[in-house]
Amino acid sequence: MSADPARWHSSTSSGGNRMEFKNFSLYINQTKVNRFAGELAAGKLMSTLCKKCGRQYYPPQADCPSCMGSEMEWKELKAEGKLVTFTRIYVPPEHFAVRQPLMPFSSVQFEPCPIGLIRVEKGLTIMGWIPKVDIKKIRIGMKMKASPFTLPDGKITIVLEPI
Amino acid sequence: MKKVAIVGIGHGKFGIRSDACLRELVFEAVKACLEDAGIALKEVDSMVTGVAGDEFSFGIQPSAQVHDYIGFYPKPNFRVEGACATGSVALRTGWMNIVSGLADVVLVVGVEKMTEVPTSMATEIMGRAGDSIWEYPFGTTFPGYYAMIANAHMAEYGTTEEQLAMVAVKNHHYGCLNPYAQMQKEITLDKALTSFTVAHPLKLFDCSLITDGAAAVLLASEEKAMAISKKPVWVAGLGCATDAMRMGDRKSLTSLQASLEAARTAYKMAGVGPSDIDIATVHDCFTIAEIVAYEDLGFCEKGEGGKLIEAKETYAEGRIPVNVDGGLKSKGHPLGATGVSMAIEITKQLRGEAGPRQVKEPEIGLTHNVGGSGQVALIHIFRRE
Repeated sequence: MSADPARWHSSTSSGGNRMEFKNFSLYINQTKVNRFAGELAAGKLMSTLCKKCGRQYYPPQADCPSCMGSEMEWKELKAEGKLVTFTRIYVPPEHFAVRQPLMPFSSVQFEPCPIGLIRVEKGLTIMGWIPKVDIKKIRIGMKMKASPFTLPDGKITIVLEPI
Repeated sequence: MKKVAIVGIGHGKFGIRSDACLRELVFEAVKACLEDAGIALKEVDSMVTGVAGDEFSFGIQPSAQVHDYIGFYPKPNFRVEGACATGSVALRTGWMNIVSGLADVVLVVGVEKMTEVPTSMATEIMGRAGDSIWEYPFGTTFPGYYAMIANAHMAEYGTTEEQLAMVAVKNHHYGCLNPYAQMQKEITLDKALTSFTVAHPLKLFDCSLITDGAAAVLLASEEKAMAISKKPVWVAGLGCATDAMRMGDRKSLTSLQASLEAARTAYKMAGVGPSDIDIATVHDCFTIAEIVAYEDLGFCEKGEGGKLIEAKETYAEGRIPVNVDGGLKSKGHPLGATGVSMAIEITKQLRGEAGPRQVKEPEIGLTHNVGGSGQVALIHIFRRE
């Protein structure tokens, strides 16, 4: 990456697959870190690292508020850690509700699967769906890993699984 | 620093107000507020309007809808926003208006018209008050964020679903005594515990309501306050603090750092501590939020919030009465109006005008209002003398 905003476009499209960011974010498509979506589609969970002060960001940021630097490099995250918290949302927002043809990881349209947060290296946290564990068996502190997942409609997301 | 007092209060009826639009709701509250203060609108110098969501107000300038309809122009008015803490942001801004010397008498209005859109859409709009890029893709909703706080609190401190339900039982009890409340219905512990799950472990009765409503207060400088009101209620301390957008970036999931910091600032400014507070309205958007607020405000030790409600210490007769107006839980939660409504309840209590829910001779009251899933918190401390 470069500090020169004019070079962002070329640098972001050069890494990973070309992928619309909104295939991950659902609403927002225009960001300096849109390479994240391409890398996710290619199977990698990427963070950014500030070249000046070394602070690491997940979710990736194009700018570093610690030193006000904007020269970042991409770094794959070691996406393993302990579950910090979780829930299962039974009343989903409109976007995920019944009119949507696909409800990720759910046989019943009205019931999305659980979601959770894991804490990985450097205290960073990753949010993801927990498709394979019954809500009653999810325990805070359980060891889990985060991985990219491509849904049948081409959208990309992140899942958490016990290890 | 200049002293500022609340000299007028006006509370509209909260509920599913399919009979009225945003500007009409405001008119009700402003009319009542001016009647309470006993002055005319022409004596007001300036105005602040709190509205949280453009998607709810169907326009990008809700403040104009309001100053037009109440006939306030050409005097100053603008809109402020702080998600669910919008009403307290408006009050703080009104206070700043007077302390700066720009105005002596300021009308503070909070309003939200939430039921014009379907519930699923309202859920989506509020869900986007989390991180719309990095959290929303996982289907997060407002109950979802607080459910994650609840699960963390239960795992760390042994807080139980029964204790959460006890908050709902209390707030519904007091909602019945508040004629402006949306849901005036007692509930039993069993009913709360057997209601359907909205976001594990939070059930229907753990959640506040989707509400239309408006509230208004009139603020005045010391000289004007003494002239206008026989019972001015003084703003003694203010605190405002912020925290990370994403829950995963927060220092703790079992307390709100913004609440802790805002409380520290407000207590210091007012020169009081938690044990001096005689009555409080706290941000019970979900039952777990009230329990966390007990702890963050210092009404009990960290992790003891569940036990505090279990011992009924936050009932009107208890050690520290909390949300005896029904809270967001039963009174309703029209986002922009909530913070103003909280200040109205404290004013009524300090004036001794709270009727059947009056607490015995309170002198110092506190409001605690949180925006989003904890991104911003505002605390105000009020005194009778």
